[in-house]
Amino acid sequence: MKWNRKAKMVTVYLFTIIFLIFLNFLLPRLLPGDVILAMYSGQEILITEEMYNELVILHGLDKTLYEQFSIYLTQLAHGDLGYSYVFHASTTDLILAALPWTLLLVVTSFILSAIAGIVLGVESSWRRGGKIDKSLLVSMLFVDGVPSLAIGVIFLSVFSLKFGWFPTAGAMTPYSNAEGIAHIKDVLMHLVLPLSTLTLSQIPGDYLMIRNSMMLTIREPFILTARAKGLTERKIKYFHAARNAILPFFTRIGIRLTYVLTGVLFIETIFAYPGLGLLTYEAISNRDLPLIQGILVVSVLLVLLVNIVIDIFYKKIDPRIEYAH
Amino acid sequence: MHIKMLHEFRRNKIGVIGLSILLILFLSAVLAPVIAPHDPWDYSFNYFEPPSKDHLLGTNDIGYDIFSELLWSLRTSVVFGVSVAAIACTIGLLVGISAALVGGTYDVIVMRVADALLAIPSILVMILIAAYFQPSLPVLIITLSLITWQTIARGIRAQTLSLKTKLHIKASKNMGASTFYVMRKHIIPELFPLFMMGFVTKTRIAVFMEAGLSFLGIFDPTTKSLGVMISYATHYLYLDVWLNWLLPPVFSLSILIISLAFISFAVEEIFDPRLRRNNGTQI
Repeated sequence: MKWNRKAKMVTVYLFTIIFLIFLNFLLPRLLPGDVILAMYSGQEILITEEMYNELVILHGLDKTLYEQFSIYLTQLAHGDLGYSYVFHASTTDLILAALPWTLLLVVTSFILSAIAGIVLGVESSWRRGGKIDKSLLVSMLFVDGVPSLAIGVIFLSVFSLKFGWFPTAGAMTPYSNAEGIAHIKDVLMHLVLPLSTLTLSQIPGDYLMIRNSMMLTIREPFILTARAKGLTERKIKYFHAARNAILPFFTRIGIRLTYVLTGVLFIETIFAYPGLGLLTYEAISNRDLPLIQGILVVSVLLVLLVNIVIDIFYKKIDPRIEYAH
Repeated sequence: MHIKMLHEFRRNKIGVIGLSILLILFLSAVLAPVIAPHDPWDYSFNYFEPPSKDHLLGTNDIGYDIFSELLWSLRTSVVFGVSVAAIACTIGLLVGISAALVGGTYDVIVMRVADALLAIPSILVMILIAAYFQPSLPVLIITLSLITWQTIARGIRAQTLSLKTKLHIKASKNMGASTFYVMRKHIIPELFPLFMMGFVTKTRIAVFMEAGLSFLGIFDPTTKSLGVMISYATHYLYLDVWLNWLLPPVFSLSILIISLAFISFAVEEIFDPRLRRNNGTQI
């Protein structure tokens, strides 16, 4: 059976969405007991009769399962992810307010760790077996093993609490009314620790991947050709070898994003950084299930979006790719 | 791929270091009931006692002996990590082999489900399920296995597909071997290295996940956990307890994961001959 790449992509996205709907729509309805109580009852919220009736109408729980499903899909299509009774706000608004901070963290750390990982990986593989390669490899494997949770906790206790160099919580000083450069400086100071934790936790992965793929590339005949042409070492290293070795980096961005979002969850919780991760933590502690569901939807959409963009651009990045298997 | 596994592994220093650390940690986790000086649930001690002969790491805010708690938490990490890895790898192995051997529509559907699972952050699924069911440890183990088998299945499938076309497999088939016989005698033994690498990686992810979920406060509250210890210790950082309360669980968790990272690196280097120079990176 021949499946072309587009059909394959579409089926994957379809399955992802089915799984998401199963988790968010079917699971609460499959639970024994009352759906509304299962979803909305928390320690903080007391569900009044009035609220209960309101929620029954909102989710169409007095109707058939089929009609409930169409209500759910319509709300989803309108970008309505539900209402949080804990925060007294629309879930969509809460997520949209938190998303920019998370994106700031994720995108910046992606770029920083990619630069560091590529440079270290290329230099390390070029000196294979040498002193620099060995010590880099061991230290990177070591850092790779330290979970982001641990890095974050250590950074917080040492740099914020012990030395007091950086603020302990938040993304900016509340009520400071600082403007212009002072404001930017304030935001950056709050960003330093969460960003370095997230970046540090990603560098080893990038490094190990680039190092492995460089080792395979270095043996290719075109490297020998480049040498024979008399190109400088630096040119061969970065413009001939590294250019080919970083290709797997792009295919893995989508998968890596799910890991990075996991890291963000802990790092934002530790540094009380007001992004999606901290919102998830607050939703957990308040048992705000509609909010957790909303965050799940947004995270999965984010990963799918990145995958689609990469699928589209990958042919441009690597023209060798075959579109029909 | 016929490599003298043990011989190669012994020559790989990174692997030997990783395995030694792991064995020590495993041993102390298994022997926790024997070596722990106190009952980890006994809160009859004084609060915030500094480290002493009786309490090696002092006591915490409600009077638990931190050292005993640490050993029992390590036990939870190890049990959770190994069980998730065992279940997830078994599912991955079965799905991967069957997809490669059966092929057709079954292969397409199963592998697309695997791809779809890759796009879903498993931690959020775990959080959602934990919030709905407040499940016990075994249920959490099974849930995490059910959403993390996909990477194993993909690797196993690709390897089986390439094995299927190898001459010695064709030869044994031509001599009348059944599919099951070929699978048992030729395919599964050759998949072993890949399976082992997957096992180590999954253990690592599961250990991290257990610590993370309990750090967020959504794990089975009846078990001791490194994540819970870290979480409580961070609440009392202002009391300067970080040396005897915060660092031990952070350090144990890191060392456990580092040893697994070392082992998986060594195994990968041994079994991917393209990565080897002469006989492995000799560090």
